[in-house]
Amino acid sequence: MSWSEAGLGDGLIAVRAVHFAATANTLGALIFRSLIAEPAFGATPEAVPVLAAQIRKLAWTSLVIAVLTGLGWLLLETMQITGLSLWDALTQEGLSTVVEVTQFGQVTVVRLALAVLLAISLAGERVWPVRRLTLVSALAFTGAIAWTGHAGSTAGDLGILHLVSDVLHLWAASAWIGGLLLLMSLLNSSARHQSAAWRKLEQNAVSRFSLLGIVAVSTLVLSGAINAWIIVRSWQVLLATAYGQLLLVKMAVVALMVAFACVNRLWLTPQLAATAAADASLQLARNSGIEFALGLAVFAIVGALGLQHPMIHP
Amino acid sequence: MRHPSRIWTAVLVLSLVTTEARAHAFLDRAEPKVGNTVASPPREVTLYFTQKLEPAFSTISVTNAAGQRIDSGKARVSGSQMSISLKPGGNGTYHVNWRVLSVDTHTTDGNFTFQVGQ
Ligand code: HEM
Ligand SMILES: [Cu+2]
Repeated sequence: MSWSEAGLGDGLIAVRAVHFAATANTLGALIFRSLIAEPAFGATPEAVPVLAAQIRKLAWTSLVIAVLTGLGWLLLETMQITGLSLWDALTQEGLSTVVEVTQFGQVTVVRLALAVLLAISLAGERVWPVRRLTLVSALAFTGAIAWTGHAGSTAGDLGILHLVSDVLHLWAASAWIGGLLLLMSLLNSSARHQSAAWRKLEQNAVSRFSLLGIVAVSTLVLSGAINAWIIVRSWQVLLATAYGQLLLVKMAVVALMVAFACVNRLWLTPQLAATAAADASLQLARNSGIEFALGLAVFAIVGALGLQHPMIHP
Repeated sequence: MRHPSRIWTAVLVLSLVTTEARAHAFLDRAEPKVGNTVASPPREVTLYFTQKLEPAFSTISVTNAAGQRIDSGKARVSGSQMSISLKPGGNGTYHVNWRVLSVDTHTTDGNFTFQVGQ
């Protein structure tokens, strides 16, 4: 083995963290387009090309990163499972075995195919009306992550509940975190333009995003609680295992994110309507940036969390 | 909080007793039961785990009291359970060694014994 066990483990954490963040931004950009931007465009036609281009750019960049880190994840996981070096894993049937016989390998191949479908659909949108396909393939590409981890290995009916809740968890995380960069850019544009039309678009988009955020956060907390209950099962495990403690750290960061979201919703959003000044827009954009950074920290924690497991049984 | 320092002490103590949790699919139970005695040599051993297993990367080996391998070499996996057939191995202490890859891509291993006879 050319890599030390520790190096391999750290590599896996990093590649998973970036992969989660990238898939969330891919799906989040498309959800933002369907649920926030397009319905809010109406009164502000001059904003359409600006925002539409940004959405496509975010979706494309994130998709490319997601595919690259997805391949990296598959390679590192193959080295981990087979104990082969990188070169041997590629040349000595390590990769082909993992892809053919393990659930992780099969799901990864299906996900790569979904990424290709998503890319084709995204590229074809200008010619064909395939936006639904773009969104559906992004939902599938992201949701299928559930089958690669703990949710995919729980047996029986509980396994179905675990998968459903993990899929919802992944979608909700994407809708929230993946929309923040676009929201920021919209707020900054509005502050720059200082026009009534942009302000109207901004208010409309912000109130839609608040609603989306409330739904996403509720879904995340509920599905996260179900996931945690299935995996952790006792207060003792939550408090005394490395897994449980990492989960507690994650929940603390999430609490901080929710606090920022509440300040945005309850305090800054009303100011947006009350004053014509750009201050509220800029402050809202800055807070959304902090929320986004904390979201990235959560993805990093989850990168490690899914590799750990609590000692449920003696 | 009247005593924040106590909370921190508790956190510290907890992190000291923290087990380095690397394991994933744990042995839930086995047939013959772990540590138990059965009257006659069993035809097979079955292990029940807490998660679904990957057949291609999951193995069991069983040795009898004389230290000879008496398993058929080919484990059968179905969901979270894994069985292996045994050749007749006489009385005494049997050793079971297992190493499994769960569907979540995490490897665990372990061993236990059971007695045959008396
Ligand atoms: C109270 C809130 C939350 C709780 C209790 C919670 C709990 C959990 C649990 C128990 C898991 C399973 C990890 C494993 O497979 O071992 C998980 C996975 C995950 N969580 Fe959360 N979570 C919460 C909020 C969030 C938020 C806000 C985000 C987004 C930034 C997020 C993103 C993720 C991701 C991407 C996964 C990986 C899913 C997978 O590997 O299939 N979670 N969460
Ligand atoms: Cu595991």
